[in-house]
Amino acid sequence: MKSMSESISTSLVKIPKVAIIGNPNVGKSTIFNQLTGMTQKIGNYPGVTVDKKSGFMNYQGSKYQIIDLPGTYSLYPNSEDEIIAHRVLNELNEEARPDFVMMVIDSCQLSRGLFLATQLMDLGLNLALILNMTDVAVKKNISIKTFEIFKALGIPILSTDARGAKGLDQIRELIHQQNFNKSAGFVTIEELVPKATLEEVKNKFSLSNYYQAYQSLRFGLKDKTVSAADKAWIQRKLDETNLDLDAAQLEETKIRYRKITEILEKAVVKAPKLKEDRGIDKILLHPIFGYLIFTAILLLIFQAIFAWATVPMDLIDGFFAELAGWVSSSLPNGPLSDLLTEGIIPGIGGIVIFIPQIAMLFGFLALLEDTGYMSRVVFLMDRWMRPFGLHGKSIVPLVSGVACAIPGVMAARNIGNWKEKIITIMVTPLMSCSARLPVYVILIGLVVPNETVLGVINLQAFALLSLYILGVVGVLFTALMLKNILKTEEKSFLMVELPSYRTPRWKDVIITMYNKSRTFVTEAGKVILAISIILWVLASYGPSQRMDKIRTEGALKIEKTTDQEQIAEIQNETSSLLLENSFIGIMGKSIEPVIKPLGYDWKIGIALIASFAAREVFVSTIATIYSIGSDTEDELTIRQKLNQQINPETGDKVYNTATAFSLMVFYAFAMQCMSTLAVVYRETKGWKWPLIQTVYMTALAYISAFIVYQILS
Amino acid sequence: MIITADRIPKKRAAIIQEIADSPLKINLMELGFLPGKTIILNHIAPMGGPMAFKLEESILALRKSEAALIEVQLL
Repeated sequence: MKSMSESISTSLVKIPKVAIIGNPNVGKSTIFNQLTGMTQKIGNYPGVTVDKKSGFMNYQGSKYQIIDLPGTYSLYPNSEDEIIAHRVLNELNEEARPDFVMMVIDSCQLSRGLFLATQLMDLGLNLALILNMTDVAVKKNISIKTFEIFKALGIPILSTDARGAKGLDQIRELIHQQNFNKSAGFVTIEELVPKATLEEVKNKFSLSNYYQAYQSLRFGLKDKTVSAADKAWIQRKLDETNLDLDAAQLEETKIRYRKITEILEKAVVKAPKLKEDRGIDKILLHPIFGYLIFTAILLLIFQAIFAWATVPMDLIDGFFAELAGWVSSSLPNGPLSDLLTEGIIPGIGGIVIFIPQIAMLFGFLALLEDTGYMSRVVFLMDRWMRPFGLHGKSIVPLVSGVACAIPGVMAARNIGNWKEKIITIMVTPLMSCSARLPVYVILIGLVVPNETVLGVINLQAFALLSLYILGVVGVLFTALMLKNILKTEEKSFLMVELPSYRTPRWKDVIITMYNKSRTFVTEAGKVILAISIILWVLASYGPSQRMDKIRTEGALKIEKTTDQEQIAEIQNETSSLLLENSFIGIMGKSIEPVIKPLGYDWKIGIALIASFAAREVFVSTIATIYSIGSDTEDELTIRQKLNQQINPETGDKVYNTATAFSLMVFYAFAMQCMSTLAVVYRETKGWKWPLIQTVYMTALAYISAFIVYQILS
Repeated sequence: MIITADRIPKKRAAIIQEIADSPLKINLMELGFLPGKTIILNHIAPMGGPMAFKLEESILALRKSEAALIEVQLL
């Protein structure tokens, strides 16, 4: 009884919420990862698409919820990412509002950090400051008198080196002791905006101070969660008072920085620098070597993935084939055994097989981000992206798109400009994602000989590379079209910090790999498994009259003969007929006239229908379609099965060169991924863009595949 | 001599005088491009690409058109 009453009382105790905020590249995520480890959850904020990262910290028997806010330079949001920080911190709802705010500052960039920190002070938040990256400050010969800063601000300050795991126990202790403080305020906003107006706003929204009131005036119109009535009220106030908010903001910025400079003059002592450590940038940002190195890094990443990921992938493939064989031989024949061996096991296998690739690609991306190299890529690529209506930052979504369009599309939210963001989102799914790879690999293996020409070029590798290049060409072509179609008044800008190079933190990289793989398995995996099962049902059942008739006729024929070979032949014929007359066979046949000019038969039609949900389903569908009716125990690999397929009308192979290339080109361009569509819907907040995307991509795929087939056949 | 920051010779230091009025003025100021601060042009991306300025302890990349908003006095 005691334990029960205890558990009830603890569940009633409110778990304190601690939000972590800071400028980009200050080691915020490292602190978050160290505090929460594997307990992280990715959720959503209403109305926007920014991921809500939170996790739990257990310390000395107490539990704390830690929320990681997106990096921002100020409370005045330029991008969606930044509006979240503003929204969470100005949260009116008592339940959702963080109890404490931990502001992380780069010890070498104190003034920029304190700019945001003092804005948080003015909001009246319970604050603590973490001066992170003290190791770099030491290297740069910067010494900081934290007591002077504490005297001026009145807020608890900790010095840490999160990468070196120094000071993390103090952070835990600080949270545990709830050693946060509200300060008296830093900038007096009433000097810039009429007090009477602020008072009105404060009362209208029951806010606790004038700075909050000022923030509401400033952003109420931009924030989608503010009701239309409130927006109208704010607009009326603005009109009445004839307030120049932009001028007020400029003035606020000047005053804030002036006061910060005064504090830092007392608190920071800079000794002459020991040495300039920016030598690496001379090479990495070099007009020629910079690009060569970037290309080399990309090639290295893809080479590594193809070389390393195939090993675990082959193991996984083999394991599931054996498992299906073992299950079918140990279970009695019947619908259950069939569902397991032909639906569920291949379905799960089709999900698991992607984990090595996804984990590795995200690992590499995390590595590039973590070392500080990704910002250099933005710097190098901006000039080349702009003519296509893209932004330097588009390079991150596009490179991610090679792993998977979903995180790529999500990464586009960092782009502040609407037009550049939309174009990036629209074209990212054209990059050849890892889900296309199995389709490519199987088809290339079928029709391109594994030979080396000119001594070095492997024909299969060359074919694969060409498909990737085709994707990039598609991206640039489409972006250019959209650039000329879309109109915007918004000014595009690039202001990005090139952080100091750091050695990567392997723990962070591993956590990223783990989280991304888990998200893929739980999110996309659900869709894939569900479709595998639905497919199996559609392929195993059909209009019962027709199906029964085929079965009875088959049984009658078998009765008439005793020859084993003949019986096997009749059985195969029957299963083939059953598939042709199943629900999916009917669907595949009904689209056959449309896809025939591309060189596809109705079985490929079935795979096309099924993989509209997700490209990788093509392989598992093909596997399901061709394994139905054949013996699972002989563990034929998919490729061998495909090679055996003969067109009953012509007697030729179904997967000839023209059809295989037509299929590859189709898969290169077609929008066959429900998960991507769902993400695009989320990111653009409506069905308009996902619909346009589906239509243009399908049209592009159909026309290109048609041309390819007609030329090659 | 007062010039705009996009015309600073490479590796030369300059003191910021004023930020020209523009919708981007506030963004530049928030990042720390304030009158009185010293900037050094460290890198330029080819073909009129972005420019990387050293401002205090950090390196910040701006497009050429944005750098043109910063009026500086060459040192």
